[in-house]
Amino acid sequence: MFKKLTLAVLAALSTAALADINVGVSVSATGPAASLGIPEKNTIALLPTTIAGQKVNYIVLDDATDPTAATKNIRKLIGENKVDVMIGSTTTPNSLAMMDVAVDSETPLISMAGSAIVVEPMDAKRQWVFKTAQNDAHMATAIVQHMTDRKVQTVAFIGFADAYGEGWYKEFARIAEARKLKIVASERYQRNDTSVTGQILKIMAAKPDAVLIGGAGTPAALPQKTLKEKGYKGLIYQTHGVANNDFLRVGGKDVEGAFLPVGPMVVAAQLPADNPVKKSGLEYVTRYEAAHGKGSVSSFGGHAWDAGVLLQAAIPQALKKGQPGTKEFRKALRDALESTKDLPAAHGIFNMTPNDHQGFDQRARVMVTIENGNWKLVK
Amino acid sequence: MRRQLPLAVFIALLAAGPLLLPEFSITLLNYIGLYAIVAVGLVLLTGVGGLTSFGQAAFVGIGAYTTAWMTTAHGVSPWLTLSIGLVVTAAVALFLGFITLRMGGHYLPLGTIAWGISLYFLFGNVEFLGGHTGITGIPPVSLFGWEMKSGRDFYYLIWLVVLLAILALRNLLDSREGRAIRALKGGAVMAEAMGINTPRAKIVIFLIAALLASISGWLYAHLQRFVNPTPFSLTQGIEYLFMAVVGGIGHVWGAVLGAGLITVLKQWLQDWLPQILGQSGNFEIIVFGVAVVLILQKARDGLWPVILRLLPAPSRQRAVPQAPALDRRPAPPAGTLLLEANGVTKRFGGLVANNNMSLTVRAGEVMALIGPNGAGKSTMFNCISAVDPASEGKIAFLGASTASLAARDIASRGMSRTFQHVRLLGQMSVLENVAIGAHLRGSRGALAAALRLDRAEEQRLLAEAARQIERVGLAEHMFDAAGSLALGQQRIVEIARALCSDPCLLLLDEPAAGLRYREKQALAELLRRLRGEGMGILLVEHDMDFVMGLADRVVVMEFGEKIAEGAPEAVQRDPKVLEAYLGGVE
Amino acid sequence: MDLQILLLLGQDGVTNGAIYALLALALVLVFAVTRVIFIPQGEFVAYGALTLAALQAGKVPGTVWLLLALGTTVALLDGVRLLREGRFRKLPPLLIFNVGIPLLCAGGLFVVPPTQLPLWAQVAVSMLLVVPLGPMIYRVAYQPLASASVLVLLIVSVAVHLALIGLGLLFFGAEGSRTPAFTEISFELAGAPLQGQTILVIVASALLIIGLYFFFERTLYGKALRATAMNRTGARLMGIPPALAGQLCFTLAAAIGAFSGILIAPITTIYYDSGFLIGLKGFVGAIIGGLASYPVAALGAALVGLLESYSSFYASAFKEVIVFTLIIPVLLWRSLTTKHVEEEE
Repeated sequence: MFKKLTLAVLAALSTAALADINVGVSVSATGPAASLGIPEKNTIALLPTTIAGQKVNYIVLDDATDPTAATKNIRKLIGENKVDVMIGSTTTPNSLAMMDVAVDSETPLISMAGSAIVVEPMDAKRQWVFKTAQNDAHMATAIVQHMTDRKVQTVAFIGFADAYGEGWYKEFARIAEARKLKIVASERYQRNDTSVTGQILKIMAAKPDAVLIGGAGTPAALPQKTLKEKGYKGLIYQTHGVANNDFLRVGGKDVEGAFLPVGPMVVAAQLPADNPVKKSGLEYVTRYEAAHGKGSVSSFGGHAWDAGVLLQAAIPQALKKGQPGTKEFRKALRDALESTKDLPAAHGIFNMTPNDHQGFDQRARVMVTIENGNWKLVK
Repeated sequence: MRRQLPLAVFIALLAAGPLLLPEFSITLLNYIGLYAIVAVGLVLLTGVGGLTSFGQAAFVGIGAYTTAWMTTAHGVSPWLTLSIGLVVTAAVALFLGFITLRMGGHYLPLGTIAWGISLYFLFGNVEFLGGHTGITGIPPVSLFGWEMKSGRDFYYLIWLVVLLAILALRNLLDSREGRAIRALKGGAVMAEAMGINTPRAKIVIFLIAALLASISGWLYAHLQRFVNPTPFSLTQGIEYLFMAVVGGIGHVWGAVLGAGLITVLKQWLQDWLPQILGQSGNFEIIVFGVAVVLILQKARDGLWPVILRLLPAPSRQRAVPQAPALDRRPAPPAGTLLLEANGVTKRFGGLVANNNMSLTVRAGEVMALIGPNGAGKSTMFNCISAVDPASEGKIAFLGASTASLAARDIASRGMSRTFQHVRLLGQMSVLENVAIGAHLRGSRGALAAALRLDRAEEQRLLAEAARQIERVGLAEHMFDAAGSLALGQQRIVEIARALCSDPCLLLLDEPAAGLRYREKQALAELLRRLRGEGMGILLVEHDMDFVMGLADRVVVMEFGEKIAEGAPEAVQRDPKVLEAYLGGVE
Repeated sequence: MDLQILLLLGQDGVTNGAIYALLALALVLVFAVTRVIFIPQGEFVAYGALTLAALQAGKVPGTVWLLLALGTTVALLDGVRLLREGRFRKLPPLLIFNVGIPLLCAGGLFVVPPTQLPLWAQVAVSMLLVVPLGPMIYRVAYQPLASASVLVLLIVSVAVHLALIGLGLLFFGAEGSRTPAFTEISFELAGAPLQGQTILVIVASALLIIGLYFFFERTLYGKALRATAMNRTGARLMGIPPALAGQLCFTLAAAIGAFSGILIAPITTIYYDSGFLIGLKGFVGAIIGGLASYPVAALGAALVGLLESYSSFYASAFKEVIVFTLIIPVLLWRSLTTKHVEEEE
């Protein structure tokens, strides 16, 4: 399964002919964000190695969820591998750390991180930065909408004590306040804590109508399991970070009934035939599961796939204006990325503008619930 | 001069680096420099001072966050924030040092882990510091309008700091204060008895290490132009220690080597492992861990000592230091009562080691304290020199009670001692060991030493040490490592060290043990001369011929109590003494 | 905060504290005998739990391959030496222990699908796969450095920890696992629900601690270990080889670690890197016990568990800040009240 990637890496290191397009990738394949980074890394291996007749080399490096390592990686990729475009990184801090280097060398950067601050507010620096993951705010709005529809008035939050939990809490709190939702408790826990009993007891003492768990992957199961164990009866929401099979495996029956917003690809097969994302979403799911087994796909891999989708659309245009490896090509690539229009991808439809370098709209999220150990589309 | 050659080549290569090397090598060198600055501090703190700290990354964080916040939120100039960061770091380090440096043994490393973790999570939870996400848009450092935006621009600044730090540290270690710091690891007992304020010396090195870390943090923030808590976590704190140990924690240059090696090794693994193994799993960290274990198995003192063997042999200083003599304290006239111990009792739990012991020593006499093994003689010594104060009883030195004094205060009043178990710093030369004795006769501190403003005083201290070494007859060993001498000679070095402090009362614990007949005669001759100069000498010794030929008065102890006192001939005839020595065979 | 919450938090703290206490005991043991601060202790927790989870998921746990590789390395290292010294009689046990048993385990896993085994057998197989790693790691990583300084041994520990973390990620992936509960019983205690598994953790820990006490007091090996801990040179003079003592205590430490992991796997999710923080908190307990006293270490560990539980209720974001800030005065107090011998250079 790694063959393709290895070949690409080997090719890049040995020849790296000037005419090839070099794509640098930095993902957090180890460290705290490894469960996000690994599917992204796996997905890069599935991306096409020829675009518009040009050979594309992907050079993948691991940044161990450390911004310093991410900066080293991008400097290396730009300095040694002369990459034309960067994909990365997995987390918000790592992406922010890479931003300055990307701008200084005028290389477009496509981040896969969640927080909107990677691309907002638009300024001279962020002109070179694009982002494939839905903004946290985008997802949080869906949750708040779903809550208010169900007459939820008080809500408690428990999330990771890291950038992921923090980003979610900020966005969620802002939107909830605007919609007159009262946040009655806000707790934090460590990704690999062995117990969240204290936090859950505090939340239950506040008697919220709903609880939002701001965690990613299997660690997000622990608060929900503890809530169930302590007899919590209200609504439980999760974030799109949990959308992988391991979460269902670890959560078991205790996570049944949780609501969460996800990119459409997670439930691509259940989407109505007229949904514009169905085809592109299914394509990714099929490709990934063919390589890694049924049920192996996760929403994070989709962000890496979408970065590939963006490039496949933008590179042909950029090639008209310059040769890969040149400053002109990178500039043209940036311009082409910024003018992406109506591009269906795994997570939604991209419509970039000079002010919006994320480019998704309502079509990039659906609410799902967990039913019989599966993701089930709501409505 | 040949010794300086590798250094000159190294600096020349460094200077030429940006002109020759590709961009990414410069990036790596920049990070190596940043790590080296912290690791150099650890060499001082852990390698030399023996205080293990896992918390240095937190100090890097303080430096980085101070500048990140002040430059982004308040637009303060980075040069100003550097000094503010140093002040903040110093304040935090003093506070933490004040608490944790009192801990001994394994409590200290865990203490550093504890505040290291606490500070890390504080960074992540403080709203205005950007929380876990961090602070972006930190401005680059500019100097006279030259913006150091690229790695190449920053390179010289980083390596200038590295070299300055190393230079300052080497100067410091080769000074009065430096000897005090090096004495910490050998044992606070000896250092204190030589008048060194060990808690203060610990704080000094803790502070220096923290400030170096803070500077590294400032550089990091402006190189990276982004900070979040991750690089300041416990993991990174461990990594700094890692670098220092692998490089060679006993050597300043080991820090640079370690920082370089670890950084390059990681990079190399990232580049080549996927090719060698044919797939891109995450094998880097596994191979990295195994590699470090292997390195340490082959070179447990780190790699720098290995390299050192390849470099030209150090040209040890051979010239005997010459300088005007130091001022001497006014000697009390012969016959003055120097020491008076009355009813001294020392208990260890239920065990009474000394019971109601009394003795006096006058200026210009040799007083011998004898008794069978385990009679409590060394315990009595420790009570008198306050190395291990008495449980009960009065001890007066020069007419003043020493009850509330620490060992170093008593030393400063003119009492000096040797130890039954030799306490020398084996790696250091005899000259340097003896110069520790002169600690109280100098006053220049760490800053003066780092800037080499202490040379005149230093020369006088070393000259004094050299004189004392000549006096005890070890001139030909002056520049040898103390550990390489025979045990008997090491005892003599201890005497020279004690003499170096210009004492009026000298406490000698079994000075003649391990000496040959000739050497014993020479020692006796020396002691007679000292007595003639008006010094009071309290002597513990087993060699009866030696004692009886030398002592003016003798006190005999058995089972912690005094059983006889008087002139040597009288004591020798005392039936109780005879019983003690014949009954309990020596 | 009402009584019920107080009780529940206490119960939570004691459960975690029990695990920390077990690890603290192992750390004290390893340090006393070998002067190694055994940071990888935590990895054994993760390996134990995740190996069991992998067996239950019907996968072949990666620890099998590690066991084979390490076993072969040990056999090679010691085998060459034995051959050179002509001590052929010692060869068969060496080979059986280091290569034979791992091969048997690996083979057995392919013949009998582990999912069909009863729970106790799965636990036994997991222990069999993980525990021998302890003495093997001692032989390969630490034994050549047995006389090095505490600091060097500590750095070796960090390196071993990094390698094991990397292997853990490779074997088990980034996502965590849970195992089914050993018991589904649940009680009510003062109106608060009390899971049977929680009681099991506490009881098993207590039993294990008592068992260790008897091991040290009553058995020959236990006494030998205690002797080595008190005086290494003396023990060697009495005919206790330090290498044997080292391997023995690493076996015990690995067993305690793996067992702790298996105990808590049903009540929490364990990740490949869970071990470090759990181990660190055990380490805190061990240090409070001065790396010498077993009962104080266990108490210290329980204290950490309780502190953690209550601070996660009051201010969860600052939990680690509170826990680690509060232990500083404890450390200071312990340091000032215990007399420690100065380490000679």
